[in-house]
Order: sequence, then C-alpha cells, then structure tokens
Amino acid sequence: MTEESIFAGFGGQGVLSMGMMLAYSGMKEGKEVCWMPSYGPEMRGGTANCITIVSDTMISSPIISTFDTVVALNQPSVDKFEKKIRPGGNIIYDSANILTPPTRTDINIYAIPGSDEALKLKNTKVLNMIILGAFIAARKTVKPETVMKALYDVLPERHHKMIPLNEKAFAIGMSFIK
Amino acid sequence: MNNKEYLKDFAGKTLFVQGDEAAAYGALFAGCNFFAGYPITPASEVAELMAKELPKVGGFYIQMEDEIASMGAIVGAAWTGGKTMTATSGPGFSLMQENIGYACMTETPCVIVDVQRSGPSTGQATKGAQGDMMQARWGTHGDHEIIALCPNSIQESFDLMVEAFNLSEKFRSPVIFLTDGEIGHIREKLVIPELKDIFIQPRRISESKVDIFGGERIPPMIEFGQGHKIHVTGSTHKSNGMRDVSSQNVHDVLIRRIYEKIELNRDIIVKYETHFTDDMDYLVISYGASARPSLGAVHSLRKQGKKIGMLRLITIWPFADKITRELCKKVKKVFVPEMNLGQIAREVERFTSNPVIKISKIGGVSHTINEISEEIISNI
Repeated sequence: MTEESIFAGFGGQGVLSMGMMLAYSGMKEGKEVCWMPSYGPEMRGGTANCITIVSDTMISSPIISTFDTVVALNQPSVDKFEKKIRPGGNIIYDSANILTPPTRTDINIYAIPGSDEALKLKNTKVLNMIILGAFIAARKTVKPETVMKALYDVLPERHHKMIPLNEKAFAIGMSFIK
Repeated sequence: MNNKEYLKDFAGKTLFVQGDEAAAYGALFAGCNFFAGYPITPASEVAELMAKELPKVGGFYIQMEDEIASMGAIVGAAWTGGKTMTATSGPGFSLMQENIGYACMTETPCVIVDVQRSGPSTGQATKGAQGDMMQARWGTHGDHEIIALCPNSIQESFDLMVEAFNLSEKFRSPVIFLTDGEIGHIREKLVIPELKDIFIQPRRISESKVDIFGGERIPPMIEFGQGHKIHVTGSTHKSNGMRDVSSQNVHDVLIRRIYEKIELNRDIIVKYETHFTDDMDYLVISYGASARPSLGAVHSLRKQGKKIGMLRLITIWPFADKITRELCKKVKKVFVPEMNLGQIAREVERFTSNPVIKISKIGGVSHTINEISEEIISNI
C-alpha cells in the first residue's frame, strides 16, 4: 500500500502540521514515510502545501506530480490540484471555505464543513484535525488510535491540555465519512 | 569533546526530523562543540537545533553579526581545540568564501553547511537548488583542493555529517556539507545509531614539535595552552608558521602539499553508489535531491526494459573521476539531472567523449520522475 497525498491551503491553516501528523503516525506504525513542504516567505497567508507519502515499501522519490488524495482547504488549492488527482483518487475539501467545489466524476469527492465545525468548537485552529479525521476515516492510511497517540509526541507538553479538544475535532471529522 | 551522557538519550532512537535537523544531530554525535552562525532560510533549522542542544552537551553556540564573522569564529575556535561548524545558504556562503580560503591555507579542520537555495543573490529564499556546486569547488581564490559531500536523504544527512567531521580532522581541511533546500526541509525517518557504532576521528596533536605546517603531508596540530608560541597566518608560511611571502620555493612547497593531501587521497575520500551498472546502455549521473527522482526514473525505465544504469555521487569534491570515466566508457550517452543549468554535467564532460545530456531544472522545484524518464526516452 502506498498513499501519495498532498495537503494544501493558506499558510496558518495547519496544512503542514496535518501532513506531518499523518507521516509521523505512519512512522509509528513502522511504515516508510516522507513529508515535503512547499511554502513562500510569508509567515501567514500565502499558499502552503506538503506532499506526504506513506508506504509499505521504500520511497524512491519525494517529488510526485499526481496524487492519490488531495486535501484542499482553500479555493486556489482545489483549482490547482483537482486536475492532478489520479482517476479513482480522492479529494477532501473544506466545503465551508470553498465556493466552486470540485467537479470531476472519476474521483471520490468528500465535502467536509471543517471551518463551520471548528467554529462550533470555538477554536478555528482545530480545522486541520477535523479534516485529518475525515482523511483517516476515508483512506484508513493509519489507525485513528495511532494519530491520537502521536498527538502526545508531537505537541510540546505545555500544549497537552489542548489534546482533548483535538481528539474531539478528530472524531467529528471522522463522523462525516459514511 | 562534548558530553556523551546527554547524547545517550538519543542513541538508538527513531526520530521524524528534517534534513537540517538530522545534519545538526549528526554534528552533535560527531563531537561538534562550537557553532557560530547567522540564520538564513533554508538553513535556519540547523542553527535553531544547535542553539538548543549544543549547551546541553557542554558546547558553545554563538549567533554572529554576519557570515564573514561566523566563518572567522569557527576557524578561531578550531585552533583552541574545538570541533567547529557553521551553517548557511547561498548568500551567506558567498560571504564566507574569504575565510574558507583562510581555513584552507591554515589547514584548519571545520565543517561548513550550505543548504543551497535558488540564486544568484537573494534568489528564491524558501526554494531548494543545487546552484553552488562550483562555488563550493572554486569559491575562494587560489589553488586549493576542497572536500564537499552531498546527502540525498535524512538518514544520510546524519551519517555524512559524521563523515564530514571525520574527514576534516583526518585531512586537516575545511569540509563543505553541500545539501539543498529540498533535502534540508523534507521530513523522514532518522535512526540514530548507538554511540559505540559511531566512529570519531580524533585530532592528531603534536606533543613537542612546532612544525605544524609541514614536515609531513598532513601535519599534526598543537593544542591551545600547550605552551608553544605559534603563528597561524593566511600568508604564505614556512613549516613553523612564520611568514615568508617572497620565496617561490616556500609557496610552492606549501601549496602543493595542501593540494596533494586531498588529491593523492582521492580514492579514500570519494564515495558513490551505483545501480544497474553491470548491464547498461545509458547512464544517469546525479546527486543530492535530484538523485531521488533520477533513481525513480531509472527504476521505471528498467521496468519498461530499457537498459539504464545510475551513478549517484555522494562525494562531489574531489570528483569521482575513476568511476565516472569507467562507467561512461560502457555506455552510449550520459544523462545528468541536476537543479542547476549543468554545473556537474560540465564536470562529467571532462571524463568522457560520449554525449553528456543535461536535464536541468531550476526555479525551486525539483524534477519529477516522469520529467526525467521522458527526457531520457526522447534521447535514446
């Protein structure tokens, strides 16, 4: 099994962390992983994305031009990456943020109202965990428990009090995938 | 030498880190105890991790006013007995050239990390490139030999960093760790070896003799505080360190020795990796980040029945002359994918009369597997 995905959005939405959580969880499960960020010089705003590969076999190149799964948190990302999804692939997007949704008929389209749900949790920063929950439920790349455990490793201890909220957000994301 | 106790906590662990961080861990495990630098994208993570960890192993981190001073500081600290390093990217590497020459001339062991980004000048700060290959070789003036290493993965960023420190001690020479923004920022698995499995080249110290700039091809150094008076100068000097800038013979003896200590040990220094080279009609030569999609392309072309082999250069300078000449003889054409306009392709041309085809990509994005394989197919 190899999952070649790209997480894309505005800087500050947590797209890089989302990919990193997935790759780190993959590594915890003993898989081969590679995470490659791409971003501009801006601290916030601007566009950011990361290619994340999780595989059972050696990853020869981190640079890929078509994807199994695209996660898009803003309109430019849908516009740019929808056409780069392999037939039979997937797109997961934040439907609360995107006015022109993807239209391809040969891929699976998952519309997740991530930003709305994050607002309900009174913390827009958990948008990425909601979307990651949906990703894991749809793709089953790693076990949800592994991601939950990974939170303890990845977050510095002073932020551990935020873990319950992140767990909740993750569960909400998963619940959108039937 | 730094405090091993603290490092024990990391030994044997599996980390999920960037290439820059892996390089910094490599330096800590190689015994680095002094870092002077000026942060710059995409090399800042090296400085960041060193700032955090170096004091814990009993080392020193200094943020300098610029890259010229950073390079000066690591040369000075090396003469006080330190194992020293700095890290920068293209714009800072340009500033360091003067003092890299000083390190060559004074035969000072030190490691310079260049996480290459798109240039010239400020270029694209956050984008990777391989445009400093020739600057690493000839950036500083005058006849000199240099050692430069090019990792292509996170694990190799660690392993080669240990090697870089060892080579700098063994040959009493600055060593350039020539990585790029892509390998520097990718995150992959890093398995840190056990302490006993990491070989550390000790510094050769002379007990009594003060002839530390001659006598033998790679002379020993002396330790700060040993009681000798010694002159360390970038001007032409005799074997005891005293300046002599008018004698043709003194200059000839000094510079030829500095040149030969690396040139005549080329076979010991040069490292490379070959794939499918026993049975091939075409050869791909690549290194660093671009070696990843290159190898991917070679694998996919092999599946289509095309006889393609690959040579991955791990040591860039001194250049892997023998293997390049030998492998290029076996094939009809040579392809060199790299993230510049053909710097190493030009070097490869020196070793073969066969056509050398550049597969260049610039602008901060490296080749995809398809781009390389399509370029190869259209030329065979």
